[in-house]
Amino acid sequence: MQHLIFFLLVFMNIGFTSAQLKFSLAHDSLLYIPIRINQEDSVSLLRFYISNIHIEQGRKIIWEAHKKHYLIDFTQNRLATNIVSGTGLENIKKGRLKFTLGVDHKTASQGIGEGPLDPIQGMYWTWQSGYINFKLEGVSSKCPSRKNRFQLHLGGFQKPFRSAQIIELQITGTRANVVFNIHKFLAEINLREAHSIMSPGEKAVSLMEHAKRCFYVQ
Amino acid sequence: MYNKSLLSILIGLFLVAFALKKRTPEPTSYIPTPFYRLPVFPTKNDTVALGRLLFYDNILSANNQVSCASCHNSYNAFAHTDHQLSHGIFDSVGTRNAPGLFNLAWQKEFMWDGATHHIEAQALAPLHDPKEMGSNIKALLSKLRASDFYRKAFYDTYKDTIINSNRTLKALAAFELSLVSFESKYDAVKTDNAEFSTQEKAGYKLFKQNCNKCHTEPLFTNGKYMDNNLPIDSSLDDKGRFLVTKQKEDRYKFKVPSLRNLSYTYPYMHDGRFTTLNQVLQHYSSNQNIKNKGKADLEKAIHLSFNERADLISFLLTLNDKNFVFNPAYSFPKKLKDYLIQE
Ligand code: HEC
Ligand code: HEC
Repeated sequence: MQHLIFFLLVFMNIGFTSAQLKFSLAHDSLLYIPIRINQEDSVSLLRFYISNIHIEQGRKIIWEAHKKHYLIDFTQNRLATNIVSGTGLENIKKGRLKFTLGVDHKTASQGIGEGPLDPIQGMYWTWQSGYINFKLEGVSSKCPSRKNRFQLHLGGFQKPFRSAQIIELQITGTRANVVFNIHKFLAEINLREAHSIMSPGEKAVSLMEHAKRCFYVQ
Repeated sequence: MYNKSLLSILIGLFLVAFALKKRTPEPTSYIPTPFYRLPVFPTKNDTVALGRLLFYDNILSANNQVSCASCHNSYNAFAHTDHQLSHGIFDSVGTRNAPGLFNLAWQKEFMWDGATHHIEAQALAPLHDPKEMGSNIKALLSKLRASDFYRKAFYDTYKDTIINSNRTLKALAAFELSLVSFESKYDAVKTDNAEFSTQEKAGYKLFKQNCNKCHTEPLFTNGKYMDNNLPIDSSLDDKGRFLVTKQKEDRYKFKVPSLRNLSYTYPYMHDGRFTTLNQVLQHYSSNQNIKNKGKADLEKAIHLSFNERADLISFLLTLNDKNFVFNPAYSFPKKLKDYLIQE
């Protein structure tokens, strides 16, 4: 396998132009998303944690990313420099790619982290402790909120509202594109009701489960 | 031969570990093991000393007017006695009273509802709260980095001038964890260095019968969230633990507070509704407001006669730790005072 690429898939039909997120696990390459915004809907911020990225064959872990946590950030068309690296990926032909969407609850239950986990990243709740696993903000005509804004800050690491999701995807061939389908994510949620989620709870968990279903390999 | 040297290495290690352990404030037998490791006794330039500077410095707030100590005064066992305080939380705004800060190393969670799960994360809450310090960690770090005083203070502590959130929050946490209060008369009695008076003894008995279930000695809290049947203040409707767990059974439950240092930490309860211990006991004697009969934490009133109340209060007063409250190691740091004067 040459590359393991994370894509962010955005379809035309809800007003997003197709945009790609390259999240190369093979080389120290760039990750970016030019999200073009139409008059009605837009995503202004999308950031999430990915933790414990590894590839398994059978019960064996055959590859692991160098770092435990990555903060994937698509803020404001900015070229982000998230780099996922790990040696030996080029020799892998198939396996199960596994990662946690969010910060695993063990890590979250500890103190303050560094690097991507530094609270300076704005992904740490302050009035209640714990990481925001997935942050999506934007504007949609469906939102009855002020200025049609939606803000989904999804997190929670304590039972019964543990929200981090373990994602498992089969990969084969020399190239694997991991896609996060933001069209599906936005189309299948009720933004009219769930437009402002800022704390752990049932809604956050179910949206994280939904986000999990929006990842696939192309 | 080989075994023998291994053994002596092990013994050596043991002695080193023992020596290191000795430097922490001695946890005596009746005190349980803390959740957090206690910092070694404050030295001049360690993280505790750095945390103490930060704790007392107004630089933490957006307008440079509020420090942690503004609400947590050492002479009040780090509580705040002037008025009740509000705490802005997403949709629900509650009014909460600043609790005393001591023996935090024995606490698993913080705040009246346990919203903070780790001591290092705790300072972020007041720092970011628009009603408390109205700042944020990013702004604070740039102020600290621009300050000669803090560049030097961080250098003194870490031998380099890197100032980041990890170091800042860990230093604050270290100072807070150093706030240990086990030098009350009660503690002296426990260690056979004092004796209770007859009245205190009678009060201790009443305490064990009526209060110890929740305010469990020697920390005088069981660390749980419970409902002691306070009438709901409808203007606040603070649902307590429920705000964190969203579980119905947690409605109106609050963390059982320690009863140490009560003379310094008034007003009492999460909203500071009582100013005297008499009012508190009056509340416990009243039979009203049992919200979930059959499943309540406190199923019936704790009736105490006038004399019994006096006895119980005399016992509660043995939990005051004057040495803690007036410990110069915890008060406004001279280094910061000197710096502010010459500014
Ligand atoms: C404006 C007043 C105010 C300021 C400033 C303030 N606090 Fe507090 N503090 C409170 C209140 C009120 C609570 C209780 C909050 C709650 O339960 O939701 C509290 C709770 C705490 C607790 C939890 C104690 C426990 O037993 O659970 C700690 C620790 C603490 N504060 C430390 C700090 C530190 C460190 C700072 C400075 C960075 C600070 N506080 C600044 C008012 C304040
Ligand atoms: C069922 C558990 C329970 C029992 C029994 C109990 N308490 Fe409490 N106590 C609590 C809780 C919970 C709080 C905090 C309530 C709040 O603020 O909403 C509290 C608060 C207090 C406070 C206020 C402390 C502060 O710092 O604000 C005092 C004083 C107190 N109790 C004394 C007593 C005494 C004395 C007894 C025995 C007569 C007693 N309690 C019995 C659970 C209990």
